Amino acid sequence: MAPRVVVMGLASDFGCQVQMTNIEDDLLDVLGLIDLSYWQLASSGHMPAEYDVAIIEGAVTTTEHVELLKRVRATAGVVMVIGACAVTGGIPAMAGQGDLEERYGCVYGADGAEVACGRVSPAPVKSVIDVDYEVPGCPMDTTEFLRVLSRALQGLANRVPEEPMCAICKTKENICFLDKGEICLGLFTRTGCGARCVTLGRPCTGCRGLAKDANVESAMKILAAKGFDVDEVAERLAVFNTLEEAFCR
Amino acid sequence: MFFRVMESSRLPDLVRGFAQDHEVIGPVAKDDRFVFATIDDPAELRLDYDTTLLPPKKLFFPAEDQLMRFRVADNEVLDDEVFAAPRVLFGVHPCDINALLLMDNIFLKDYVDPYYKARRDATLIVGISCVPSEECFCNAWGTDEAHWGFDIFLTDLGDRYFISVRSVKGAELLDDFVETREITDADTADFQRVTAERKEMFAEDLDTSQLPLLLDAKFDSPVWDALGERCLSCGACSMVCPTCYCFDVRDDLAPDQKTGTRSRLWDSCQFSEFSAVAHGQNFRDSRASRVKYRYYHKQWGYLSKFERVLCVGCGRCARACAANITPREVVSALAKGGFE
Repeated sequence: MAPRVVVMGLASDFGCQVQMTNIEDDLLDVLGLIDLSYWQLASSGHMPAEYDVAIIEGAVTTTEHVELLKRVRATAGVVMVIGACAVTGGIPAMAGQGDLEERYGCVYGADGAEVACGRVSPAPVKSVIDVDYEVPGCPMDTTEFLRVLSRALQGLANRVPEEPMCAICKTKENICFLDKGEICLGLFTRTGCGARCVTLGRPCTGCRGLAKDANVESAMKILAAKGFDVDEVAERLAVFNTLEEAFCR
Repeated sequence: MFFRVMESSRLPDLVRGFAQDHEVIGPVAKDDRFVFATIDDPAELRLDYDTTLLPPKKLFFPAEDQLMRFRVADNEVLDDEVFAAPRVLFGVHPCDINALLLMDNIFLKDYVDPYYKARRDATLIVGISCVPSEECFCNAWGTDEAHWGFDIFLTDLGDRYFISVRSVKGAELLDDFVETREITDADTADFQRVTAERKEMFAEDLDTSQLPLLLDAKFDSPVWDALGERCLSCGACSMVCPTCYCFDVRDDLAPDQKTGTRSRLWDSCQFSEFSAVAHGQNFRDSRASRVKYRYYHKQWGYLSKFERVLCVGCGRCARACAANITPREVVSALAKGGFE
C-alpha cells in the first residue's frame, strides 16, 4: 500500500508548497508512489485521521500549532519539515526577539495581542517534536526535496550536509564575494543547494541554517579582520538563523 | 624530446589547427580571475594568466561525475561507459602538469580508474611557461619545471616560442598546423636566460629540506591547535587543490524510484563527516586534527609511498582560504615552533 501523505502549513507564506507544484516534470512520478491524502495549499478538504507521512511547512507560532504537531507526531510514522521557517524558525523567528506583545500590537492594532490568543514565540518544528527529515532553504530546493522524499520512502536515514557552502561554491568557480568586499554568509551556512545564489551572482543569505561544521567564532574574527562590519554580518545572519545557535550545537 | 622554434604570431594558427579535430580547452578570463574553458576563438586564450580558480583536475576528475545508472528492481548497471572526446588542454603551467602526474599515481597505478583514464588518454597537454606570482612556491618542491607530462611545452621568449616536443602525437600536430624551425644557439641562449630570470622572480625560498623529519617531530605541536582555532572547515583548500583526490560516492534514485544514478563528488578531509564512521564515532573530531592530517597526508604520507610530496606549490589554497592558512605559513611555523 502506498504511504498516505499529508502536507500542511504552519506560519509561512506557503512558498515551499508552491515549490512542490513547481516540480511539474516529476510530480506525476511522485504522486504515483504515494497516496496524497491532504495538501493544505491545493485542497479544501480536511486532514484525515490517519496518515503515514507528514510534510510540514512553516514555523510554530501558536499553541494551536503546538497541539497540532503533537497530534501529528503521534499519528505519522515519518515527519518531514520543509523550508527555512519549519527547519530553523526562519524569518518568523525574528519576531520572537524583543517584545512580542508590542509587535503584535504594531501589526494587528491595539487589541492585537488579545486577538492572537495562544501565540508562542516563533520557533522551528524541531523545538516541539522530533523531526525525521529536513529540507532546508527559502524556498526549499525542489531537487533536494525529491532526494529527501526518496530517502524517506526508502527508509534511509536523514542526511543533512554538515559543512559550510564554500566548498561547493569553489567547484562552481565563483569569485568569492569576500574578495570583492561584499558580505556573504557562505562560511556559516550549510551546503546542499549547490551555492545557487552565489552562482547566480548574489551573496549567500544563510537561508539553509548554520552548518554544523561552521566555525562561527573564527569566521566573525576573519570578517572583522577583512574590514567587514560584524554587527551587519550578525544582523544578516539573524534573518534565517536567530535560533540556530540554540538548536544547532 | 626535441626542440623547435615558432614565431609568436603563429600561435592562433596552432590553436585553430588543434581545434579541427579536438576540443581546445585553455585559460580564459572570468572577471579578474581565470578559468579553464573551451576556446572557440584563439583570441579568448589568456596565456598571461597567473593561475586558474580550479586546476585542470576538473577535466579528468570532475567535481560531480555520474559513474553509472542502475535499475532498482534487479540491481542491473545500465550505463557506465565513459565517453571522452579528443581534446587539447592548451596552456598548462608546470605546477599543474606536475600535479596531474601526482594524480596519475592514484588513478592509474594499482587500481586503474576507467573514468580518469579515458579522459587522460583523450587529452593532449600543451604546457606554457609562467611568471611566478606572490602565492607561488612551486620552487620549494622542484615542481617549477615540467620535464614530462606534456605533449609540447611552449616557453615564451617574447617574439617567439621555444617549443619542447615530448610526444609523437605532439610532434605530428605541430608539424601539421604551423611552420616551425630548428633551434639555433641564439634560441638556446635565450631559453636559458629566460629560465634563469624566472628562477629569480620567486618570493623568498621556503626551506622544505627537513620537512618529513619536522612533521615527525612536531606531531603534538601547539601550532596545530592554533590552526584548528582558525580553520573554517569549509574545504575550499581541497576543492581548489590540483592534487586533492578524495571523493564521496552518492546514489540518487529517480523520482519514480525505479532507476538511480551513482555519482562521485569531491570531498574534503576538513569536513567532520569525512572521518565519521559507524556508531557516530569520529576519529578526527577536532578541526586541529583535520588540519594536521591534511598536512601529514600531503607532506608525509604520500611522500613515503611515492617519493614526492602531494603539493606542487600552485598557491591556490593560499588564495582560497578565507582564514589565510597557507602551506608556506604552516611549514615555517612548524620550523620556528610558532607563528610570528
